[in-house]
Amino acid sequence: MKHSIQRQLTFSLAMLLVVVGLVLAQAGLWIVDRGLRQHMQDNLQTQAESLLAALIKGPQGIELNSRHHDAVFLKPFSGHYFIIEFNQQRWRSRSLWDFELPEVEAMGFSEQLRPGPEQQQLLIYQGQYRRYKTDIKVTVAHDYSPVLISFQQAQIIGGGLGLLALLLTLLLQWRLVRRALQPLEQARVQIEQLQLGQRSQLEQDAPVELQPLVQQVNRLLLHTEDTLQRSRKGLGNLGHALKTPLAVLMSLLRREELQKQPELLALIQEQLQQIEQRIQRELTRARLSGDALPGAFFECGQELPGLFQLMNRVHGDVLTLSWQAAANLRLPYERDDILEMLGNLLDNACKWADSRVELGIEQVGTDYCVRVDDDGPGIEESQRQQVQKRGSRLDEQSAGHGLGLGIVRDIVETLGGTLQLLDSPLGGLRVEIQLPTRL
Amino acid sequence: MRLLLVEDNVALADELCAGLQQLGYAVDWLADGRDAAYQGAVEPYDLIILDLGLPGLSGLEVLAQWRAAAISTPVLILTARSTWSERIDGLKAGADDYLTKPFHQEELYLRVQALLRRSHGFANQNHLQAAGLGLDEARQIVHSQGQEIELTGAEFRLLRYFMLHQGQILSKSHLAEHLYDGETERDSNVLEVHVNHLRRKLGRTVIETHRGQGYRFTGAGVQP
Repeated sequence: MKHSIQRQLTFSLAMLLVVVGLVLAQAGLWIVDRGLRQHMQDNLQTQAESLLAALIKGPQGIELNSRHHDAVFLKPFSGHYFIIEFNQQRWRSRSLWDFELPEVEAMGFSEQLRPGPEQQQLLIYQGQYRRYKTDIKVTVAHDYSPVLISFQQAQIIGGGLGLLALLLTLLLQWRLVRRALQPLEQARVQIEQLQLGQRSQLEQDAPVELQPLVQQVNRLLLHTEDTLQRSRKGLGNLGHALKTPLAVLMSLLRREELQKQPELLALIQEQLQQIEQRIQRELTRARLSGDALPGAFFECGQELPGLFQLMNRVHGDVLTLSWQAAANLRLPYERDDILEMLGNLLDNACKWADSRVELGIEQVGTDYCVRVDDDGPGIEESQRQQVQKRGSRLDEQSAGHGLGLGIVRDIVETLGGTLQLLDSPLGGLRVEIQLPTRL
Repeated sequence: MRLLLVEDNVALADELCAGLQQLGYAVDWLADGRDAAYQGAVEPYDLIILDLGLPGLSGLEVLAQWRAAAISTPVLILTARSTWSERIDGLKAGADDYLTKPFHQEELYLRVQALLRRSHGFANQNHLQAAGLGLDEARQIVHSQGQEIELTGAEFRLLRYFMLHQGQILSKSHLAEHLYDGETERDSNVLEVHVNHLRRKLGRTVIETHRGQGYRFTGAGVQP
């Protein structure tokens, strides 16, 4: 799973809440428990002392004045117990019934709870006193289990409430974070649109924290566009600078002086042609923008009529040209690249066609499929590979299928698509190009 | 046919001027965009060959100015900028044809001939044909009823203009404007002589005289 700020925030908050909640609850319980025990120990001591006070010197020696001690010592397993020991005598409270209090060696309070009757947990206090010249040991015990049970209940209820509070907090936090991260989400959507070519800039009204990012992205986009345009312009100028002298040279070939030297003429002509083709090919390759520029579009309905008007100017006298594409179909690529690709494809097809050339563009899922059919002689299946390969060589010599398709292949490769040579239903060659949606 | 060539490369312009003149066109040459924008709008050219990379004012801007001023002279763009998007932009700016450098001169001349024919309503013809006459523009001869008739350069120019404007009354001054470039002395008597030569070669009624108005090419009564 990918790293997500939202998920990370929720997770860490939950962990924090659980840990802090547990520690707080446990500490609270511990403090209350300690206080209660302290309180009960004080009670036990008081009880022991009041029992001591209830010992009176009677006719048969020391007696326990039953009026002076509580009724709770009479009810069996009431939770309040005592044992008084002196001079080999041992008095047990009636409440103990048949249970024997566990032995405690040390005087004072026992640190631990001791098991009592009927799953009771006993706090025990043992005191050594001297009265009526007799050593008297008083042991008092108190059942602590009701407190433990209420602690457990408190834990369950507290845990439940805590869990509920945790869920509520997380829900609230999730929504808050979501709202806080909304600009990020917007930026993500915008960048997606950028890649799909549906926009050329990010929105400027981002929150302060995102401003530098948005501005930087926009600046980069502008910079890229600017650089691209400048290098294109530079290349165009270079082409212009080179091609005009070439045109002059080709004109000079008509001079009579040269016409008298056919061999020389042919040689020069061939070399000039090579220079021209090389310049043409390299200029086209260098100009290719690929997906460097977001926000670029090729609108079929808008561009194809112009292109076909141009094709008809050149080939319309002899050929019937037609195109088929949904009027609102937009290809998310540079207009120049697609025009160059289609222009070369169609020009190539027109060179070979007998009477008809057809262009079809359609969207297939997320890809785009471009087909150009002609009714010319086509290419033998065994030669197709070779034609494609030859077109890709830089020292390309022959025009026609080779050069045109070579440029087309350069463009298709830059756009990340594939090119296939197939049999056309019209009888000639079908060039099929699959272009993926940029991601 | 009077053409305007706007090209800033002197060597190329020299070659093209010479070639076009050989083909019987009257050619004016300009190298600066601003001059071209003015002169193209004022002089009655039959066709303009326009380079795009011009000093002063770019070719596309010159073309846009002409078209904005409703000047419908056919324009053939001549440029090194050969991408399809630039070609389409050129056509959208109002160009009628587009030829990329480097090119063979023959290609340019064929395009010029085709564009002239097209702009006068002779679409889908490889040769200029009117009223039973077929003009071979390369050899400067006319085919009439299966016979080849030789023409002098001046006769060829005149006949070509007449054939492209069949049925229209053309005044002498109009003909002079379109057959001679801006620097040639225009003498209407010379025109009369050439018209008479054409009548002698093709038949008397081929060209009508409308007194005080000018000449009209009817193509009627073509005789061998």
